[in-house]
Parts: sequence; structure tokens; C-alpha cells
Amino acid sequence: MLWTEKHRPKVLEDVIGNEDAKIELLKWILSWEGGKRSKPGILLTGPPGIGKTTAVHALANEFGFHVIELNASDLRTSQRIYERVGYVTHTMTLDSFTGDKNINKRVILFFDEIDGIDPKADTGGLKAVVDIANRKEVPVLAAANVPDPVSHKELLKSFKVVEFKPLTPRQIILLLKNIALSENLSISDESLNKIAYISRGDARLAVNMLQEFTAGVKLDYISSPLENLPLDILMKRLNSSNSLAEIKSLLKSNSTQIEDVFYIYFDMILKSISIRFEEKIRLLEECSKLDTIFGLINKKRHFYMFRYITLLLPWLIYSANRAGVVYDGRIPEYRLRLFIFNRGKRGELSSLYETYFKGRFHFSYRKFVLYVFPLTCFYLDKDEFPSLVKYCKNTVGIYPLNR
Amino acid sequence: MIQYMKISYGVPFKIPRKLGNLFKEIVKIKGVKYIKQQGFVIEDKSSLDAVNRILIKMGLVLVPKIYCYVCGGEVDCENCEFKDICKKDVKYCICKKCLSSHDIVKKYAEKQRLALFKFTK
Repeated sequence: MLWTEKHRPKVLEDVIGNEDAKIELLKWILSWEGGKRSKPGILLTGPPGIGKTTAVHALANEFGFHVIELNASDLRTSQRIYERVGYVTHTMTLDSFTGDKNINKRVILFFDEIDGIDPKADTGGLKAVVDIANRKEVPVLAAANVPDPVSHKELLKSFKVVEFKPLTPRQIILLLKNIALSENLSISDESLNKIAYISRGDARLAVNMLQEFTAGVKLDYISSPLENLPLDILMKRLNSSNSLAEIKSLLKSNSTQIEDVFYIYFDMILKSISIRFEEKIRLLEECSKLDTIFGLINKKRHFYMFRYITLLLPWLIYSANRAGVVYDGRIPEYRLRLFIFNRGKRGELSSLYETYFKGRFHFSYRKFVLYVFPLTCFYLDKDEFPSLVKYCKNTVGIYPLNR
Repeated sequence: MIQYMKISYGVPFKIPRKLGNLFKEIVKIKGVKYIKQQGFVIEDKSSLDAVNRILIKMGLVLVPKIYCYVCGGEVDCENCEFKDICKKDVKYCICKKCLSSHDIVKKYAEKQRLALFKFTK
């Protein structure tokens, strides 16, 4: 379980930092309870990872509210907001959200990342939020990273704005000490200082880093961002790692390169002359299992099988490292072959886009390559367009759906 | 020669200079208030930066005063190990002495409880 969830404060007094902001929040909810509703809602602003959402949940928990949260992953058009939230404010029928155990709880509406409401895609979404708040039937809270004075004008005018600030490095240390105490861990001041230094006021990042550190990831690795590493650096780090937790963490943070990593390791194992023959056979058998899974994911779109990759690949890397497989920094041959092959494919796709799609449909070349073409291939009728099916198979490696 | 003056966010202070036309400029800044008899109130770091851009012309720079949330004393930002990365955009931090005490977590929670209790009571 992620520590950011496990150690999420349950009450407001356990939330570290932003002391004045928390008091503002408390005053507002108390005035709400007392019936003096000067502002219909409250808008928490500030960069990500500094405790806005945590403060709302802690406040709700403390006052016995149930939080109905709509975040950026939800479609937030006015219609959807009224559908999901509107009738709650009128009828207080909560069973669709909460289940039986919370049915008697009061409700807080929380719109997280409200600045992510797209004026085009989420038509009327912001207006609906303000409208629901103005009814003053349930407390409405919203959080935004950077509210825009123009597009969020109405929201800024109606809601009380409470600014959350990034934590100071010493507050981050306090937070980490608190977690270390709960986990019964002894962590040196030097390590805590280093995490506080890197996280730059982002509490969520600091807690994640602490979790990775305690799982065995070296602080030197944490000191530079783990995410989206160049392939060469990622390979060097993976190859020099002797901890399974560290390998898992590196792969998790660079999930887009997992397939490349696998093929490079396959190449390395194949060419390695320093490892024992039996060991090589064993590792290649593991590679073969992974290759089958990658094949099923790429060709048949069996995405659920990705869980086996996340399970098997770290073990393969770990075993290969222990067996003495070494990354020599060279680009494996398969990469060159793939590059040449892909260049050909890119040319074909580009001409297809230019001829049939550009200007006629409202999507970019990137969207065409990533979604439109593979999906079209996927849903093609095999018998009706045999030559097109063959073309799709050769170009994107996708087999049409069996119907 | 530049003169430094310590101020606290949200607490009124007087500027020891004749401001003349600059007064209007300062009051127009978002997050800056002027209370008669008491002086200026600056809410946050961004407002302070904007005020400093004006005051520097007169050789004055305002520096935020930050207090320890636990003991209430002033935090020595000048000698802080994080001074080069800290934005000093807060009213409260934790002083080195309090941070190194073994029961800091408990003390901090206790302080928070008291501060919040004032309003819930």
C-alpha cells in the first residue's frame, strides 16, 4: 500500500503545515454549521502534493461528513455534474454513492483539480459547480493548482479562496519523522535532509521517496528523478542494481520503456559468455515466457496480462544481474532492425494519413497513429477486406478481432 | 547601501521612509493592505516580492520573519541548512532546536490541537 494513503491524516490537527489555511477551513465549516453561510463554497489553491485534498478529507472525517469527490478523471460537463451531484443536494439520496454504511452521514461535495475542467469538453461544468454551491444545501469545496482569473472568474468571485503553500523543508522532515515513527523505522538525519532537499516542499513526493528509500532504493538514485530516464541510463541503473525492490521501482517509474528493457536484456543474456550454460538456459526460458506475454499484449491486446510482466520482468533482471550479465552500453542489434523497420512503417502510415484522413477528419497525425488506425484495424472484418487485414497486420502488428 | 527590515506576513508594519507617490503603487499590489494608524499588511511572498521591487529603489528590502510553530521563537533562516531552496513563503516553520528534539512530532500535534481547539470550542 502506498504510504501517501496509509499515512493520510485522519484529523485536521495531524495535517502538517499550512496552519493558517487549516484554520480558515475550520472557520468556514463552523460558520456553515452555525448557519452563517457568508460564502457558498471554498476554493483551496496551491501546487500539487501539499495537502489540499488531505485537509478536506481530514476535515470531513472530523465533522462526520461523507465526501463525494469528483476529480479530473471524471467527465465534468454541467449535465454530468447535475446528474451525479445535483440530486444529492435536493433529495439527499446517497445510496448510489456511499452504500448503506454511510447513508446517514452528511455530505461534502469536493471538486478536486477544478482548474482541470475544460471549458470546451466540460461545457458548463464550472457554472454548475457555482450553481450547486449557491443553493447552500451542502458544503461545496474545490481545489485547484492555479485558478485562471479569466476562466475561473465566477468561481473566484463566489467562493472563499484559501491558499495552500508548499511545506518548508523542515516541515517535510517533521512529516517524514512522523511516518518513520509510525512505521517504527530509524532513519538518519542525513537521509531525511536529503529527501527534504529534493522534494522542495512537495509532501506527496517526499513520502513516496521515503517509501522507496526504505524499500531499498539508494538515495543517490532518488536524488535525480526516477521517472522517464533515457534508455541508456535506465539500463545502467537496472544492471547495477542488486535489489529487487529497486528494480521494481525503476521499472514502475519508466513503464513506457519496459518492452525495450526486456529485449535489451534478452540480447544481453544471449550474448553473455561469462555465465554458466545452465544458468543461460534458465534465463532464456524466462525470456521466452515474457516474449509470449508481450506478443499476446501487442497482437491480441490482452492488456490484463501486463500484470505478469510486472511480476516476471523484475525477477528476470534480478536473476540476470546476479548471474553476471553485463550491460555494455551498446545498442543491441534488434534496436537497429526495429528502427529501420519502424522508419518504413512511419512512411506508410504518413502517406495513408495524408491521402485519406488529413483535412477530412478532426484529428492529428499522432492521434491517427496512436488510436484511429490501430482501432480501425482491430475492428476490421477479416473476410471482407483480406488485403487490408494483411496490410494492417504487417504495419501495426494487430490482428483483427475474431468475430 | 541597502537596509533590510524584517516583517511578518499578515502583521501590520510601518515603512521608515517617506513614500510619496510610491505609496499608491504599493497599496495597489494584490495582497497588500494599508490600515490607518497601523501601517501596511503583506499577505504572502508574491506580494512581498512586488513590494520589494518598489522599495529597492529607496534602498529598502523587506525580509519575512518566520516563527517556530512549536516554541514561538523566531526561526534563524540565515543559518538554515535549506536556505538556498526554501521559498520562505510561510508564517511558521520549525526551529532547529525544536526539530532535533525527540518528541517534536508530539509537540507539533499538541500545538495544532490547541490552535484548532480555540475555534471549535
